[in-house]
Amino acid sequence: MSPLDFEPILSARNFSLWYDSQQALRNINLDIPARQVTAIIGPSGCGKSTLLRSFNRLSDLVPGVRISGRILFRGQDIYGRGVDPVEVRRRIGMVFQKPNPFPKSVFENVAFGLRINGYRGNLRERVEEALRLAALWDEVKDDLHRKTGYDLSGGQQQRLCIARALAVEPEVLLMDEPCSALDPIATAKIEELIRELTAVTTVVIVTHNMQQALRVSDWTAFMLLGELVEFGPTREIFTRPKDPRTEAYVTGKFG
Amino acid sequence: MRRRALGWAFAALAGAAVGVSLLAVALLVLITALQAGPITAMRAVAEAGISLSLRSLEIPGTREAHTYVPMAQVAAGSPAASLGMARGDALVAVAGTGVDRPSRAWEAVGRAPGGRSVTLPVVWLPRAEVTLGGLRMESRNGETRVVLASPSAAAREAGLQPGDALLAVGGIPIQGTRQAWEALAVAARTHGVPVELVLERGSERLTLFWDPTRQAELTFVRDPLRAWWSFLTTLNEPRYPERAGLLPAFLGSVYVVLVMAVVALPLGIAGAVYLEEYAPQNFFTRAMEVLVANLAGIPSAVVGIIGLEVFARALGAGRSVLAGGLTLAVLILPIVIVASREALRTVPRTLREAAFALGATRWETVRHHVLPYAFPAILTGTILSFSRALGEAAPLLFLGAFLFVTYVPQGLMDSFTVVPLQIFEWATRPQDGFAAVAAAAIVVLLSLLLLLNAGAILLRNRLQRRWSE
Repeated sequence: MSPLDFEPILSARNFSLWYDSQQALRNINLDIPARQVTAIIGPSGCGKSTLLRSFNRLSDLVPGVRISGRILFRGQDIYGRGVDPVEVRRRIGMVFQKPNPFPKSVFENVAFGLRINGYRGNLRERVEEALRLAALWDEVKDDLHRKTGYDLSGGQQQRLCIARALAVEPEVLLMDEPCSALDPIATAKIEELIRELTAVTTVVIVTHNMQQALRVSDWTAFMLLGELVEFGPTREIFTRPKDPRTEAYVTGKFG
Repeated sequence: MRRRALGWAFAALAGAAVGVSLLAVALLVLITALQAGPITAMRAVAEAGISLSLRSLEIPGTREAHTYVPMAQVAAGSPAASLGMARGDALVAVAGTGVDRPSRAWEAVGRAPGGRSVTLPVVWLPRAEVTLGGLRMESRNGETRVVLASPSAAAREAGLQPGDALLAVGGIPIQGTRQAWEALAVAARTHGVPVELVLERGSERLTLFWDPTRQAELTFVRDPLRAWWSFLTTLNEPRYPERAGLLPAFLGSVYVVLVMAVVALPLGIAGAVYLEEYAPQNFFTRAMEVLVANLAGIPSAVVGIIGLEVFARALGAGRSVLAGGLTLAVLILPIVIVASREALRTVPRTLREAAFALGATRWETVRHHVLPYAFPAILTGTILSFSRALGEAAPLLFLGAFLFVTYVPQGLMDSFTVVPLQIFEWATRPQDGFAAVAAAAIVVLLSLLLLLNAGAILLRNRLQRRWSE
């Protein structure tokens, strides 16, 4: 892998992870560029979601997880001694595969992160800002308090989850197959949104869909069986992959 | 095809069983509450002013005994008192039915055709001094005789004279002054009036027919609603079932269950939250889970012994409301924990992850998302455990709770009784009427349990709708 000309915001260094005795990630070394979109692709079970969940220490919640190596966030090891995973998650947001709004009003969904972070500014303004960023404001502005997260359509729910994550101004937004439960129109909206988000944050997106990676990402990492096979600018990964396994995958020979 | 038919059969059986049992309970409560015959009639008689008791008279020379029904109390200013009835009179007949037990009188009032208010002929025998006047024992020719010393006006009118000795009344040999009147009461009922009296006047024997009873029309008000209301709101009465009230036991139950709820709910839910959300997966946690599950299976009598030794004796709470509430709390704590854990397990993992990913701490996640989501199910489980505690008698029996109190507990350290214990106490009484009172209390308890369970279901449905929309 050639040295890359960017300042990484997140880096994995010799990072391995085990669920009980089963190794899910093998010696991952990866740099995530700031203010860009990085896609992680690979077949099912290759560890891409696990890697994503390691970036905000959400994998800690699974019983029996062990890790080795480091993940650096702005140069600091988030698995280091004295690092509070809660603090990490406040700075690195996440959007999940299935939309998971809280069973509360749209407003409360977005405001929750602000409230627990002790946000002192104008809550209403911040909520509106986040909803506008997630391109949901016009659809929900009339019944912010009346509609609950469950009253929205699937695509709206996912954009609500994005707004919820954006409200606390995360430095990185992790997205775990955010469109896999959505129809093509909703998917197109979210993809458009992802492109715009680089203005405010760094996006790491796990996707099953190679076309999606091609459409939204600047950089792509290809993983296979818990290993990082190749990382590079998206166009290169898809047109001139260096590794034969990457080529086999992006040309649809397996996966 | 066959498997499908079998499935349908089982579904039909299960549905029928649930439906039939629910219907049966509801019908039982409804019919009993609507008819409320015994308790309404009993209250009607008591409202008219009469409390009845039961006495027995052995017939001399035989092994026979006859019962009669003295009025144990006649309330001052009541309709009965205004007719001249008084304490010590014997009730002979109501509405043409001879009264040999108190229940016979109540039944007669209950069965009499007519609406809410009925006026019935009542026959009674005034007490001894009014009927017979003064008596004395005298020895004549080596035999003891009961002699009329100063006959009452009524007796004189019937032809009795001072100095007459009573030999037999309605065929019953007379042996004592008190027994003479009792024989009159029995004879008036068994042989009807007038009663045949065998007298000795001077040296001659003569037979006389006399009706010593009085008769009047007495109005009874049969009001089931009022009967239930007064049953629920009056203090208890040890001797007269027609005036027994459930208030002390009812409020005792309420207070004990309140104390139990205050102790068991926070502890149980906190325990469940710890086990589900915080506890690390290790040997101790698993051991604790097994222990909690087993605790739910401990016989309630054993819990009663724990209550007696720990709360009543070691902590010195005695047989108080506090000790009772704590004992029941021990009983339902494992049920609350198990039910709450089940409820917490239904909270989707994605909801927790959503909160965690926003930088919520474990407590913030539990407080804002997990508990509110699980709340309806927790509530249902705990209300069901309440209804178990409400029906529980054994642990409180071991604790030494009184079976019978005539006051409402005023504080945590007051002694108390609860509805199941009161039912037990009433049901084991031999006197007439207490069985009916016990049955009424059972209806109250059953209705309370049905109400609680229905409330739990309604509450759950409402809250679930609110959350899942």
